[in-house]
Amino acid sequence: MTAYQARPVYIADAAVLNAAGEQLLDLHGHAPEAKPLPFDQRHQAHPVKVPRLPGDLFDRKIQRSVEAQGLRLLHCAARLAPALRALELPSERVALTAAIPEVDAPSPCWDAVEAIQREPDRLLPQLFANTPPLHALTLLNSTVMAYVAEALQCNGPMGAYCSQANAGVDALIEAVMQIAENKADAALVVSSSPNLTPALYLRDGDPASGPVRGEGAAALLLTAAPAPGARQMTVRVAGLARGYVADETRAEAVAAQVLAKVLKAERLAPSDVDMLLIAEHDELLAGLLGQPEKRRQSSQGITGDLGASSMLTDIAYALGSPGGGEACRPRYVLAMNRSKGGHFAAVLLATAEMRAEV
Amino acid sequence: MRAREVYVTGYGLVAPTVLDGESLFHRICEKRSCVREHPLFAELGFPNRAAGYIDDLQWQHVQQAFAGDAHSLPRQSLLADFVAQQALRHAGLSPAALRDAASGLFVGANKHCATSHDLEQLAGCLDSHGRLDLDRYLQHQSARQAPFSLRVDQQTFHLAHTLGIRDHISTHSDACAAGTVAIGSAYRAIERGDLDLAICGAVELMANELPYYMFSSLGALCQQSELEPGHQSRPFMRGRSGFVLSEGAALLVLESREHAERRGARPLGRVLGYANFCEAEKMTASSRDGSKYAYCMEAALEDAGLLPHAVQHVNTHGTSTQVNDSCEAHALKHVFERLLDGVTMTANKSALGHSLASSGAIEAVLSLISLREGVLLPTLNYDAADAEFPELRFLSEPVRQSIGVVLSNSFGFGGINSSLVLGRA
Repeated sequence: MTAYQARPVYIADAAVLNAAGEQLLDLHGHAPEAKPLPFDQRHQAHPVKVPRLPGDLFDRKIQRSVEAQGLRLLHCAARLAPALRALELPSERVALTAAIPEVDAPSPCWDAVEAIQREPDRLLPQLFANTPPLHALTLLNSTVMAYVAEALQCNGPMGAYCSQANAGVDALIEAVMQIAENKADAALVVSSSPNLTPALYLRDGDPASGPVRGEGAAALLLTAAPAPGARQMTVRVAGLARGYVADETRAEAVAAQVLAKVLKAERLAPSDVDMLLIAEHDELLAGLLGQPEKRRQSSQGITGDLGASSMLTDIAYALGSPGGGEACRPRYVLAMNRSKGGHFAAVLLATAEMRAEV
Repeated sequence: MRAREVYVTGYGLVAPTVLDGESLFHRICEKRSCVREHPLFAELGFPNRAAGYIDDLQWQHVQQAFAGDAHSLPRQSLLADFVAQQALRHAGLSPAALRDAASGLFVGANKHCATSHDLEQLAGCLDSHGRLDLDRYLQHQSARQAPFSLRVDQQTFHLAHTLGIRDHISTHSDACAAGTVAIGSAYRAIERGDLDLAICGAVELMANELPYYMFSSLGALCQQSELEPGHQSRPFMRGRSGFVLSEGAALLVLESREHAERRGARPLGRVLGYANFCEAEKMTASSRDGSKYAYCMEAALEDAGLLPHAVQHVNTHGTSTQVNDSCEAHALKHVFERLLDGVTMTANKSALGHSLASSGAIEAVLSLISLREGVLLPTLNYDAADAEFPELRFLSEPVRQSIGVVLSNSFGFGGINSSLVLGRA
């Protein structure tokens, strides 16, 4: 479990892409209708169209060679490029962390699979003839990170995490730590959901047993100082905590520890939190936090479960909260989630008005 | 002043031809390569059949050591289990120790690569529109074992559940640097005080046809198929022409000094420093002047609070590709400058081939044995007379020499650079 803060860390900007749209405010709009999965019409999900990457940042071959989940991530990262450039930092002081699901195993091989089906007696020649030569690179998660690093000039510390919901939290914590420990002055945290493919459902079990899934990506730009002019309010990462349970019987105790830890830095009680972001179906977290239901919110209802991208999307949801004027803007936002694998994570955000001298 | 000292108290390892770290160390001391003709590559008629691979006898041993039904687990998890149990025994820890301490698990891994037979099985499950018929696919007995139903983090979860990891688990997908990044991340977590005990390293099984084809089409594999398999990996030699595909696994037990002392553990070495950076230069090559690699090495030394003259030995990434070795050589010259004469170097991939994610963890184990035994490993196939960078002191024979600090490098595709600083206990 982790809970720490040394140098303050601020969120300077955020970008999202999901079924609701590409703007933070879209996360507060109407939920789009889920669509039947093309390979299993009985179940529904929130897919998104593969985005076009900006040609001024990414070579055209990237658009052709990178998988959809990588393209979503790159699309979000690109939208943070102006804010990052405006910081005018040396590239060595810009960290990059990423939560990237495993590049979906069979999808780059679908052509080969179809070719093998046509000529099963020519197994190997069909495999080789129909596997892209750059597959060795494009299959690696680190490749997507490298494209971000190259386009946005991030030469600082890095870390790539795989592959469940916790990966987004691990990437966020690593980025915060790099800034807090003065190893970087800014950090780009990028994340993507897995593609909605049969492989995903093969790995994670029956689609009927889990929440409705979605496709999406989210990225945050973190800084050591509030970004001048970036937004009227500063948003500080006030606390982070994570925990893990291999044994479900400890789940409640670990969740309580994670909650206590994340609130400790600001000496808060759960009732001090103005906005609570937890998945709608998570009764354990809801019970633990004991908050009135009206304070509980989640982006998941509108985007579907975005896996490794869910925590960053929830944070973007909080940043895009329309509220009712500055007076109604939440002072403290707590986002908490847990993965099917047993990870718990909590992020506490504190908002404050920008002072004139900043 | 470091917040907390981090000890290495155990390790486990499986590499081509060997089932533990000491056997690998002695094999390399005897200048015996782990690279052989791969029966699969021969069967498939590949022009170059050299590979480091875990053979059937080794797999039998790994399966027999598993307490449950070995066939119910994917090979990656089985191997991770074997290596983790070995590491815990080596550290004198029972699995219960991980349940009782603030413990974490950090595993480096790349994706699973489908074999042609996996794809054939999948092809048989396409419907008339060319779409996968999930029900038909799942009817296959082995569908759950196929790569498409596996996750890159499945061995992490297997270990976490088996060992009862208490506080944190993560899977690091940093290409060829993943093992080193996993160790570095565990070191940081202990050093900060988040954890007292961690298992860290990597598992990689990629010596099969698809990785061969992919890396071969990139021109990254050794082009000299006429050479004996054991002679193909030739890091830092003029005649090097690419790496040899390999596989393996290594996991280390790291502990805070306090935790190790409290239980009376015998430290095998220390992790003194770590750094990792995005390079953002080029997908398959570093800055030609080595400046980016040098920056990473210097940052790791700075993290350890050391100057270059404190380092006596470097375990290089040394893949045997033209570009990587050249960049690393320039970087080493930049970091050590006039101190080069006093620094010996080794390139373990000369004996092992390149086990990608696992390479950094395997090399960390070999470095720790060098620190403990006072024996420096030779670089196989190395001949100073025909070396491209003769000013770098690679050894062609094992040398008995006491050393205190080793710098171990891993540089991954996509510009993921990482360096570990390891010290004697």
